[in-house]
Amino acid sequence: MSSETVSATPALAVEELVAGYGGVTALNGVSISAGTAAITAVLGANGAGKTTLLRAVSGMIRPRRGRILLGGGDLAGRSPEQMVRAGIAHVPEGQGVIPELTVEENLRVGMMSWPSAFRGGGRPRAERAAALDEAYQRFPPLAVRRRKLASSLSGGERQMLVIARALLARPRVLLLDEPSLGLAPRIMAQVMDLVVQLSREHGITIVLVEQNARGALAIADHGVVLNLGRVVAAADAPTLAADVALRHHYLGF
Amino acid sequence: MVEFLQFTLSGVVFGMIYAAVALSLVLIWRGTRLLNYGQGAMAMFTTFVAIEVIYRTGSYWTGFAVALAAGAVLGAACQLTIIRPTMNKPPLNAVIVTIGLLTLLEGLAGILFGGQYRSFPAAFSVTGLRAGGTPLGVSRFDVFVAVAVLVVTGALAAAFRYTSAGLRMRAAAFSPTIARLSGIRVARVLTIGWALAGLLGALAGVLVSPSTFLYPDSMDTIFVFGFTAAVIGGLDSAVGSVVGGLLLGLALSYAGGYLHSGASLVPLVALGILVVVLMVRPGGLFSATAVRRV
Repeated sequence: MSSETVSATPALAVEELVAGYGGVTALNGVSISAGTAAITAVLGANGAGKTTLLRAVSGMIRPRRGRILLGGGDLAGRSPEQMVRAGIAHVPEGQGVIPELTVEENLRVGMMSWPSAFRGGGRPRAERAAALDEAYQRFPPLAVRRRKLASSLSGGERQMLVIARALLARPRVLLLDEPSLGLAPRIMAQVMDLVVQLSREHGITIVLVEQNARGALAIADHGVVLNLGRVVAAADAPTLAADVALRHHYLGF
Repeated sequence: MVEFLQFTLSGVVFGMIYAAVALSLVLIWRGTRLLNYGQGAMAMFTTFVAIEVIYRTGSYWTGFAVALAAGAVLGAACQLTIIRPTMNKPPLNAVIVTIGLLTLLEGLAGILFGGQYRSFPAAFSVTGLRAGGTPLGVSRFDVFVAVAVLVVTGALAAAFRYTSAGLRMRAAAFSPTIARLSGIRVARVLTIGWALAGLLGALAGVLVSPSTFLYPDSMDTIFVFGFTAAVIGGLDSAVGSVVGGLLLGLALSYAGGYLHSGASLVPLVALGILVVVLMVRPGGLFSATAVRRV
């Protein structure tokens, strides 16, 4: 996908976002747009504001200023519970399974944003069961371990479980924070393949935060480089990867 | 031998009451890492409400039902009005608020219901049961106490384990961040947790008051024993709080029965058990923390 089509049909647009913690401003007027069904890589050194950007978009922190546009509406200031219902799923850094719950319970948590069957318009039990089956078909190792505690899974399986849970919320936009962190290279490649599949085959818009800039740009359509809370570069992925000065300065490869 | 049987049975009965109080503390602890010092006072207050209802309607069961409902409403109301503003503040704020709740409710009870000891009726006969000619040391009402706590804790455990609402509560307790990102309204879940805790506390109050009399600070000792039971069980575990309650009930019953001047030693025995458990297993018998640290 070329950068023109990306900017022509953004699924998610963040405009002039300012956010931080206490007295610290971690994002200082950041604008990005993530194209529909494209992968947008958000890159930069530690402390550049990448994680803060995802946290603000998913409602975990309240932006001080700026707009978060999804499907025409401004969602800035909404809570995480509202953001996931609006179609934004956030997979935080650190393989966020709930270790005390079983694999299946973790997956069922992923459907908690669905309308309740009690309030009308809810989805029947059968549809939930079908969604679970679909998740197990896509991730067979999870099916084998469905009754086991999530704490018993390997690193790769945990990442699978976390992504499967996020997908069960039926998101339009998936925010992934360092999904390859701490994984063996072979598993890391599988996770990256999965990310590509989600955008190409399932039409999910992906915002991928990665420390591993080379790997992220290899699969991304578009890239944004942050430094100290500001956007220093935004272009299609091959252009960023070819910019030697930018790579040396901000991306470390 | 007969003595041993009697001490055991009455230990089980009191143990179930400590278990109910312990479980009410665990419900709140799991959600917010907050120990509710007002739990005993809330139970005392709802038991006074029950006694007034029983006095006016003449029906024990109406009073019983009103007490449980009042417990749930009081729990939810406390959470919404005085606990919620302390969230995202230093943890000590919430602790102090619950101590304030304790003094407020005990003061209010003194004003509204008076400070004198009042006897609370029992649902069934309090005459000791006999097996053949042997007195068992427990009454029909004691059996009701044990069964009532078992039924309520069993129903709660099943709801936590098998229902969607239960899964929401567990997810919110174990990982509030992931729960919120998944669309669970954690704030609402916490309110429900307080309501359930209030209901359990109210149950304990109604069940224990026939044996202790009712007065504004009558639940203080029960609260301390319930807290001890919860710590023995690990504060995090529902099963642990029931086991902790039973262990404490038995230990205190044997101590009160067998030791010379045992009755006055009971609180010391409770303290001793607490110290030993904390030395051997600092997280409590059923704590998951040790597993989590690996």
